[in-house]
Amino acid sequence: MDTAGKIFSVIRRELRIMRQRPVYLAASLGTFMFCTVFFLTFFRDGIPQDLPIGIVDNDGSALSREFRRQTDATQLGQAQVFGSYAEAREAMQQGKINAFCVIPEEFAEDVQAGRQPRLTFYVNPLYFVGGSLAYKNLLTMVNLASGAVQREVLLAKGMDTESAMGMVQPITIDLHQIGNATADYGVYLTNVLLPGILGLIIILVTVYSVGSELKYGTSRHLLEKAGGSTILALTGKLIPYTALYVILGLACDVVLYRLAGYPLNGHFINMAAGMLLFILACEATAIFIIGTLPVLRVAISVAAIYSVLAFSLAGFTFPAEAMPPYVRGLSALFPLRHYWLFYVQEAIFGSGIRGWWMEALHLAAFLLLPFPVLKRLGKAYRLLDYPRD
Amino acid sequence: MRFKDRSRKWGKDWYNVFTTELKTIFSDSGVMIIFFLAGLAYPLIYGIIYGGGVVEDTPVAIVDNSCSPSSRRFIRKLDATAEIRAAYRCTGMEEAERLMQQRKVNGIVFFPEDYEDAIVSRRQGTVSVYADMSSFLYYKNLLMAANRVMLDEMHDIQTSRYSEAGITGQTASRLVQAIPYDENIRYNPGFAYNVFFLPAALMLVIQQTMFYGMSMLSGTAWENRRRLVNKDKGAAVTLTGRGAAYFLIYIGLGVYVSMLVPAIFGLPQNGRPGDILALLLLYIAACVAFSLTFSSLIRHRETVFVLFLFLSPVCLFLTGFSWPESAFPQFWRLFSYIFPSTFAARGFINMNSAGCTLSMTAVQMKALAIQAVIYSISAWYCTRAARDRAPLPDTGTGPLPPKD
Repeated sequence: MDTAGKIFSVIRRELRIMRQRPVYLAASLGTFMFCTVFFLTFFRDGIPQDLPIGIVDNDGSALSREFRRQTDATQLGQAQVFGSYAEAREAMQQGKINAFCVIPEEFAEDVQAGRQPRLTFYVNPLYFVGGSLAYKNLLTMVNLASGAVQREVLLAKGMDTESAMGMVQPITIDLHQIGNATADYGVYLTNVLLPGILGLIIILVTVYSVGSELKYGTSRHLLEKAGGSTILALTGKLIPYTALYVILGLACDVVLYRLAGYPLNGHFINMAAGMLLFILACEATAIFIIGTLPVLRVAISVAAIYSVLAFSLAGFTFPAEAMPPYVRGLSALFPLRHYWLFYVQEAIFGSGIRGWWMEALHLAAFLLLPFPVLKRLGKAYRLLDYPRD
Repeated sequence: MRFKDRSRKWGKDWYNVFTTELKTIFSDSGVMIIFFLAGLAYPLIYGIIYGGGVVEDTPVAIVDNSCSPSSRRFIRKLDATAEIRAAYRCTGMEEAERLMQQRKVNGIVFFPEDYEDAIVSRRQGTVSVYADMSSFLYYKNLLMAANRVMLDEMHDIQTSRYSEAGITGQTASRLVQAIPYDENIRYNPGFAYNVFFLPAALMLVIQQTMFYGMSMLSGTAWENRRRLVNKDKGAAVTLTGRGAAYFLIYIGLGVYVSMLVPAIFGLPQNGRPGDILALLLLYIAACVAFSLTFSSLIRHRETVFVLFLFLSPVCLFLTGFSWPESAFPQFWRLFSYIFPSTFAARGFINMNSAGCTLSMTAVQMKALAIQAVIYSISAWYCTRAARDRAPLPDTGTGPLPPKD
């Protein structure tokens, strides 16, 4: 039989396995669909709406009520009134509110008289997004209130509105959020989390399918189909999965950049190319794991631990350069790290291949991983001399 | 049988199930990797990765077309903040954009030519800030530093403008700070990433490793056509005996994860140890019952990973440590109630980091207790069903019998 014929017969064998054992489709298609729906709907709002922010109003004047109303009116915040500092503090400790503001007694009177009444706010920074946004919201509120007082005084002194504004707010910051104009949290995370989940699925399913042949002692039958060649056996075995992953990867890109309309400064075709490289890099990593440890039970545990670490070490939440120097380098061992750097160049900066050719090379380097373990895996396939479970 | 004999048999059966389960766990290398390598090492790895948890001195490029005392003062103040440093001075936006693309800087601060003019002529001066949104921590640093410097500069400029307008002294300073404020950022003043990520991740490690490990054993038993439940032993005896084995192991792991690891990495530990232990006991009980229920559905040893590993990141987000719970879509809020980790992580964050007492975490404690009861009932039902099932069917393991 010629090479193509051998590969073809391995593919046919693999397709039969996939039909007979639903776990392969459930683990790839099923879980990926679930995660796509999960992340797209979970961060649906992009920016949290109506964060509960506590107000302890010890004044009860028209002015303090206005402050409350203003907090409610912002898109971000939702005011919750507490009777005392102790109550608000307890609610904050329990994570029910993200921050609270204490309005002192005689607040309105003191403002009128120019006695500079002091607002005090308390922020709970244990819940990341909620805490920092509530903090930002309160800062904005207090500066707006301060500005409003100034403007009133200046207008009363006979100044015109424009000059008064120049007095109240002499500098403004004009903020441009590159690559994510609305600071959408969903855009920020889903863009990397979904490919990350796909990578996790690929590594696990590949280790599982290659390792199952050892566990169930069917690897000799596989080799027989491939005419005794490990490389043909693996090629044929992985072609159906690769096709499936490529479909999932492209579907992921279509969902993100076409259906959900996530910002993309570069080209769709480049994103697809990066995705393809990422998929192949993940498969190669998986072969490396099962080839080094040709015992399915151990390899799958190792693959699981490795895959979960990728999310942290990719550095898209906590930047790699802020990690201690001796772990920073480890991030290079994860395809997701390089995919993220690629994504930043293409989707955020739209730099094209000039910006990401290095990352493409890094991902391509992962493709060399199977070669050192090929012989070892082939031997295990032939001799079945490792403990099966 | 008299009650005394029956209880003696129960005791013997229970002890037998308990020790058998422990032996099974400790003689399985894959499970040992998950319980002990993952359970012990993950918390340490996470602690190390997130280090101090703070990103400092994010590099930014400065494009100063104004070249004036005002812009230079602004830049000096920016550089002095802990959050950012003025790493590069560029002659134009093109150069700055190139630096950002090369990831040498994560932001650009731009002063237009008329910046000084605007300030001198009492108009509004504009500073443009361009933030690299690839990581929100860069964005947060840039925004916080720029805002703080802007407020500080504003006060200086306002004071001088008021004095030009004939408003001086106390009147001016009162106007500039019409409503002063104090801010108290408790528990985690630097918004350190590790302080909010680690507690949630630590709690999750308990649930996930237990579920994966137990499922591996349950899958192995199925593959070997071995019963996890002996026919002549009661379902309750089997259930509590097996559960106790995991409970015992996880008390140790739980104390390590919730008390030792935070101490090693200097995380806030504001809770009372007794309270945390109480939360831990309930959480582990809920996890054991949860895992006993769902692991009984696993038929093949390794499938638990390929089918359910993706739940780890999902469960992490469901704790609400990052995206706030108040913004969860209703469906996912209900979905999050399935997992003990949802309540345990919140309870632990509130207790350990924010110093809540036991009574203040009553909501989470109750939820965990309810989960423990419900999952115990379902686990009991699954155990009984497994016991009463006819001889185990051959589920056709192996990829396939050679056909052609």
